[in-house]
Amino acid sequence: MRRPVAGMRQEKLIDLVRRSPQRLVFPLMGYPGARLTGSTLRQNGFNAELHFMSICKLVERFSPDAAFFMMDLSLEAGALGLPVRYPINESPTVEEHPVKSLADLDQFKVLDPLNDARIRSFIRVMELMSKNLDIPRGGYVTGPFTLAGLMMGASELAMATIIDSGLVHGVLEFSLGVCKRYARALAEAGADIVAILEPTAAFLSDGAFRTFCGPYIRHLIEDMDPMMVLHICGNTSHLVKEMCKTGAQGLSLDAPVDFPSIAGDVDPDVVLIGNIDPVGIMVQGTPHDVRRAVKDLIDGMASHQNFILSTGCDLPLETPFENIEAFMEEGRRCVRVCDGHATLDPAMMA
Amino acid sequence: MPSEEFKEMQDALEAGNATVVRTLTEKALERGVDPQVILNEGLIPAMGRVGEKFKRNEVYVPEVLVAARAMYAGLDVLRPLLAKSGAKRAGKMVIGTVKGDLHDIGKNLVRMMFEGAGFEVVDLGTDVSEKRFVEAVRSENPDFLGMSALLTTTMPAMKTTIDALKEAGLRESVKVLVGGAPITHRYARDIGADGYAPDASSAVDLAKELLGQASSSAAS
Repeated sequence: MRRPVAGMRQEKLIDLVRRSPQRLVFPLMGYPGARLTGSTLRQNGFNAELHFMSICKLVERFSPDAAFFMMDLSLEAGALGLPVRYPINESPTVEEHPVKSLADLDQFKVLDPLNDARIRSFIRVMELMSKNLDIPRGGYVTGPFTLAGLMMGASELAMATIIDSGLVHGVLEFSLGVCKRYARALAEAGADIVAILEPTAAFLSDGAFRTFCGPYIRHLIEDMDPMMVLHICGNTSHLVKEMCKTGAQGLSLDAPVDFPSIAGDVDPDVVLIGNIDPVGIMVQGTPHDVRRAVKDLIDGMASHQNFILSTGCDLPLETPFENIEAFMEEGRRCVRVCDGHATLDPAMMA
Repeated sequence: MPSEEFKEMQDALEAGNATVVRTLTEKALERGVDPQVILNEGLIPAMGRVGEKFKRNEVYVPEVLVAARAMYAGLDVLRPLLAKSGAKRAGKMVIGTVKGDLHDIGKNLVRMMFEGAGFEVVDLGTDVSEKRFVEAVRSENPDFLGMSALLTTTMPAMKTTIDALKEAGLRESVKVLVGGAPITHRYARDIGADGYAPDASSAVDLAKELLGQASSSAAS
């Protein structure tokens, strides 16, 4: 499968979408791959070759239009030495959030996160994906605000946005540096897409996002070679306009966001990625439920070209394979009919 | 009692000014105002308004947390006095994030909203085992058990806790409320919970509704 994607770096995500005769379809999936290699999530989090094989098996089985490695929001925090719990089959969780003042940051400033074994392992996964997969290859980096939340505690960070903005900006400056360093390493490892995971920003008002999140995302994105995507879980309808100002080429949004109603707020050159419910539909639903949800979403987005069918967030480990199959089949069955692709007669396709 | 003073207290609470709320609470007590009245006419309506604004997306999590901090500044002064007087609370809840899950922000919001609505809340923290939930229900005898989970991998612990309550013969003694990002109405129904709410403020409305049903059916 050694077919490098030529010239990918110069291309923008919207070009990839426009160039494709069909809707692009890729669920955010990494964890279910562990079931295809008979391994645990913890094993994948520590073993690059195994992790890569899990992703490969998913690609072979479901043929998505892009592949991402497994989401791990504890990676950067763990690389800074924060205590992390690694359950056997759940995503790792940061256990303590020690930063209470700017002076508390000093202990972390001397560290190079890229010396961490797990960070190195994820960079290696990216290299292996880049060398061996012939579809766009993506990785994740935790966003500066979310990393700040892991360092300070999410509640403390939230309150500090009101009562101690100096502390927040100080921690954000630091976390931005960590995020940039890791994102650059992923880019050098061959990432075509890097999605910035910023779930903690979901609890901000649009005004607070403008002050504490947007500018740092913009810094993280600028000068970065890969196609940069911004992912925020939860209901982020109130943040969409602000997210558009970050320079992200794609917005990956969660199930509570009503895509057809916000699509008008999004620049036609920015791609909306989402947003089938990863739990309510993909885990708890039947293949019939999945097909119906996919069809409804595609119908709702019929007049918008800047759309990639995906899931609202990463698929849980236990997602039934028949539901992923139903997702891919239904997504591919619904042929895109919009500007520039008017050669297909919808009546013939029905 | 002068509603003007409570208005100042309420404005300070909504603005998240903990020092002012504490001072005004202490001053009211010095003047001999009943702690229960300060709670019911000062703190609770203000926290209720914050909850309503939160539900309508007029304020967000940071504003709620700062307002709640101000509410606790007043409540901490009142609490020992309320306990001494044996004042009647709106109800009692035991709450926690389920086993394996360390996320506490959603659980904390629910706790704050319940305390802000006059409930007594026993917070078991995060990573709470079935056994600890069952023990707390047995010893605290609450009206509600609230369980929170952010992870799809930890949400099954809600069901095992409900099953453990049944086994301990305590299921009928408590209403089980569940919430968290991956939880849905359907999931709550499937695991046999009594209720699900999508946000902290709605959870209080739901609890009041369930209490109302219980008292009206007891009366009939």
